[in-house]
Amino acid sequence: MSLVAAHPKHTSKGGAQADGFSTKSRLKGVKVTGPPDAGAFRERPAKPTSFRKFYERGDFPIALEHDTKGNKIAWKVEIEKLDYHHYLPLFFDGLCETTHPYEFFARQGVHDMLEHGGPKILPVIPQLIIPIKNALSTRNRKVICTTLKVLQHLVVSADMVGEALVPYYRQILPILNIFKNHNLNSGDGIDYSQQKRENIGDLIQETLEAFERHGGEDAFINIKYMVPTYESCMLN
Amino acid sequence: MSAEVSPQPKAMTRPKRWTDEVEEAYRFQIAGYRDEIEYQAFNGKVADRWPDNGYIKKLQRKDGYFYYYNRKRECEDKDVHKCKMYSY
Repeated sequence: MSLVAAHPKHTSKGGAQADGFSTKSRLKGVKVTGPPDAGAFRERPAKPTSFRKFYERGDFPIALEHDTKGNKIAWKVEIEKLDYHHYLPLFFDGLCETTHPYEFFARQGVHDMLEHGGPKILPVIPQLIIPIKNALSTRNRKVICTTLKVLQHLVVSADMVGEALVPYYRQILPILNIFKNHNLNSGDGIDYSQQKRENIGDLIQETLEAFERHGGEDAFINIKYMVPTYESCMLN
Repeated sequence: MSAEVSPQPKAMTRPKRWTDEVEEAYRFQIAGYRDEIEYQAFNGKVADRWPDNGYIKKLQRKDGYFYYYNRKRECEDKDVHKCKMYSY
C-alpha cells in the first residue's frame, strides 16, 4: 500500500481518483479506487523444463518425426523395458510446455506410459508430484486442462495409484480449489486427445470425483479439507 | 524378415462404417502394414493385443520402432473411409 499517492489521478469523466487509505482519499469528491489484483488467477510463466533439454539433446527413446499419421509417438524401445523412475517424471515435467513439439510429445508420452505401464507406475508416484504441482502452478488454462486429464488417467492407470495420491493432495489440490468455479471455456484452439473437453470447472469436478472414487476411504475427507466446496459423489 | 513371402490380397474394399474389423485394419495400416497376415509374415510373430477386447496393443513398424495403441476405439469416423479391407 503506497502512502505517496500525493496527487489524485484525474479520470476521463473529470472526477479525481485516489488510492485507498491515502490522504487524498479523504478529500471531497475523490473516488477511491479498489485494491489491485492479488493475482491468484494470473499466469505464471514456467521455467525452462528439463524435458525440453532432454528432448533437444535427443535423450528420449522416441522417434522425432513431425509428420506422424494420427497422433502417435514411435518408440525406439518397448515401453515395458523403459526405466519408469527416470522417464516418467521427465515426461511429466514436460506438461508445463505450451509449444509444439514439446507439448505434444510430453502429453502423448505420458499417455502411452500410463496406458502401458501397469504395476511400474505406482513406485514412481512420489516423483511425479513436483512436476504435477509445477504444471498446475503455471495457471495456464491449457496446461491445467492437460494436467487434469493426465491426473484422471493416472488414477485409473494401475491398482492403488489413487490411494497413493492421497498423501499428496496438499500439493495438488490448492490450484484445483482456486479454479473450481471457472466454468468458462478456456479457448477454442486446441483439440487434444479426441474429445474437446476444455472447461476447467467441469474438468476439476471430474478429476476430484475420480480422486474420490479411486482414493479409498480416506479420499473424501482429505479432498474436503483442501477443497471445502467439494461435495461427495459417493456418499450422497 | 521378408515381405515377399506374405500372400498377396486379391481384392480391397473401403468400409462405410466403423466395426471391430475396421478398427483392426486401421491400427495395422497406421503402422505400415496391410493387416495381420502381412505383419506375421514380416515379423514372424503375432501382434500384442489387449486382453479384454482383443484390440491391437502394440505393433512393431517395419523400421523397428514401436507403436502403442489405446484400449478403447481409436479409429474415428473421419478416418473410417481411409481404411482398406483386404480379402484373399
